[in-house]
Amino acid sequence: MQRRQLLRGWWRLRRRVRRVTGPSGVGIGWRPEIAGFVAELPGLRFVEVVAESVHGELPPGLAELRARGVTVVPHGVRLSLGGAEPVDPARVAHLARVAELVGAPLVSEHIAFVRAGGLEAGHLLPLPRSREAVAAVAANVRRAQAELPVPLALEPIAALFDWPDDELDEADFLTEILDATGATLLLDVANVHANARNRGGDPLALLDRLPLDRVAYVHVAGGAERGGFYHDTHTDPVPPEVLDLVGALCARHRPPALLLERDGRYPPAAELRAELDALAATSGYPVVT
Amino acid sequence: MTVLAAPGDTWGISGPVFLGLYLLAAVVVVGGAIVHRSRVVAGRSVGTIDVLGPQQVAYLNGGNQLAVWASLGGLRGSGAVGVRPDRRLTTGSALPAGVTPLDQAIHHAARRNLYARELTRDEWVARALTELREGLERQGLALSPAQRRTARNGSLAVLGLLVLGAVRMGAGLSQGKPIAFLLVAFLALAVTAILLNRVPWRTRAADAALRELRRRHTHLAPASAPAYATYGAAGAAMGVALFGTVSLWSLDPGFAEQAEIQRQALSSGGGAGSSSGSSCGGGSSCSGGSSCGGGGGCGGGCGG
Repeated sequence: MQRRQLLRGWWRLRRRVRRVTGPSGVGIGWRPEIAGFVAELPGLRFVEVVAESVHGELPPGLAELRARGVTVVPHGVRLSLGGAEPVDPARVAHLARVAELVGAPLVSEHIAFVRAGGLEAGHLLPLPRSREAVAAVAANVRRAQAELPVPLALEPIAALFDWPDDELDEADFLTEILDATGATLLLDVANVHANARNRGGDPLALLDRLPLDRVAYVHVAGGAERGGFYHDTHTDPVPPEVLDLVGALCARHRPPALLLERDGRYPPAAELRAELDALAATSGYPVVT
Repeated sequence: MTVLAAPGDTWGISGPVFLGLYLLAAVVVVGGAIVHRSRVVAGRSVGTIDVLGPQQVAYLNGGNQLAVWASLGGLRGSGAVGVRPDRRLTTGSALPAGVTPLDQAIHHAARRNLYARELTRDEWVARALTELREGLERQGLALSPAQRRTARNGSLAVLGLLVLGAVRMGAGLSQGKPIAFLLVAFLALAVTAILLNRVPWRTRAADAALRELRRRHTHLAPASAPAYATYGAAGAAMGVALFGTVSLWSLDPGFAEQAEIQRQALSSGGGAGSSSGSSCGGGSSCSGGSSCGGGGGCGGGCGG
C-alpha cells in the first residue's frame, strides 16, 4: 500500500517537473493522409501520432506543428502490455525515442495484447478481467514506465465479448491497474459506447464508477452498426450516441483534452471540421477549426 | 626570343599565339555569355507564391500537358468531368464557382466528348494555355520566346568564335600545320555553345517558387497517400501540379485509366532541372508543341 502511494506521488512529481504542456482542449489524430488538413486548423493545441509510424526523423508536417507549440502525444499500438510475456524492450525504447523526438508530455498505449507465444494477432485483443491479468499488465506497465522519459496513459479497448472467467468488472479492473502503476487513463468514449452496446450494460454507470479524475485525455471515434454489433471502425462519422456520452462524461468530470480519431475513408474537410466543432461544443472547449 | 610572326605562318600569326588569343577570346565571350544568360533566366522573385494557382504551378512544373492534367484533376475532384466507356470525356455536374479559363475550355471540350489526350490540341484549350503562359511571363516566372532568343544571344557569339576556329583549322590543315590544340579548344567551345543554347522555359525565380511549394505541400506528395476527399478539388489539382499525374491516378484510378492518362511521377526533390527533365523525357509535356516546340526543341527547352 505504501509502495503504491509512493509510486503515485513520484509520478505526480515527475509529471509536474517534466510537464511541458499536457494535452488540452480538442485535438485530432495526426495522420499523413490528412496532414494538410491538420496543419490548417488555427486553434489546434494538441495532436496524437501513432508511435509505430514514426521512424527516425519526424515527418515534416508534425515537425511544423511542434514548431507552432502544438503538443504531440505518441500513441503506441504494438507494445502488447497485456501479454503474458514481458514487454519487448526494443519496442519500449522506440516509444521512448518518439516521446523525446516530439517533446511529448506523455505517451499512451492500450491495455491489450497483440501477440502471444510468438504469434502476432495483428490487432488489439482484450484481456480476461482477472487479478492475474491485472498483475501481468501492471508488471509490464512498470517495466515500460522504467524506460519511458514521460508518464504513460493506458487505454482500455473495445471488445465484442466477455471472457467467461472475468473476476472483476471493467471499472474495478481498470482502477486496480491504475492503482498498481500510477498510470493515467486514456478513456475511449467510443469504446465505452461499443462495450455497452455489444456486451450489454449501462455506459453511464461505467462512467460513474471510473476514476475520471485520472483521465489524461479522451479518444472519440466514429463507428458503424453492422450485423447487430457496433463496430469501432474509426472510418465512419462519430454517431450522436457517442457524442451524447462525451457530454455525459464532461458533465461528470471534464477531461483535460479530447481527441478525434479518424483512420481512413477520410471525409471532405467540412465534415471533419464539423466533428471537431461538435466535440468543442459538447465539451465547452474552444473551437479549433 | 619569341618569334611573333614568321613568313610561313597562317594569316601571319604563329600557331601558339593564335591559340593563346583564341583561348583568351573564348574565356571572355563564354564568361560574358554566361553572365548574360544568367541575367535573362533569373526572372523576378515572386512576392508571394500564394497567388499561384494549381494550373500555373503545373505549367511551370511540366508545361502545357501538366497544366491540362492539373485542371482535369480539379474538375474530376469536383465531379464536373467524367469519362465514358468509350474513353471519351464527358461532363458531370455544373462547373463550380471560381474556375479558370482553362477549366472552362476543358469543360467545354468534355462536353464535345474529346479524348483526354486531345485536349492540348483543342483550340479553346490552346488559347487558355497561351493566356496562362503569358500571365506567367508577365510575372517573371516563365520566359517568353523573345526572352529565350535573347538568352541564346551569348551562344551566337560563341558560334562566331567557332566559325573563326574552323576557318583557321582549315587554313592550317591546307598548309600542313599541326592543329591538335586548336581542335581541342574548338571542341570544348562547341560543347559550351550547345550548353549555352539550352535555355530553360521557366526562370530561376520559378524554380525557387516550385521548391517552396513542394516543401509546403509535402502532404500532397504521393508518399503521404493524401486524402483527396478531404483536400477537395483544389488539393487534387495542386497534387497533380506538383507531383505529376501519379496524383490523378491515386485520386481516381478508374477515371485516370479510362481516360488513358499517362502515369507520371515528378520528382519531389529540390533539383528543379531534373524534375522538368523527367516531365519532358516522357514526351507527354512536349506533345502539345507550343511550350517546347520553338527553337531549341524539347531537349533544349526543358533541360535547363
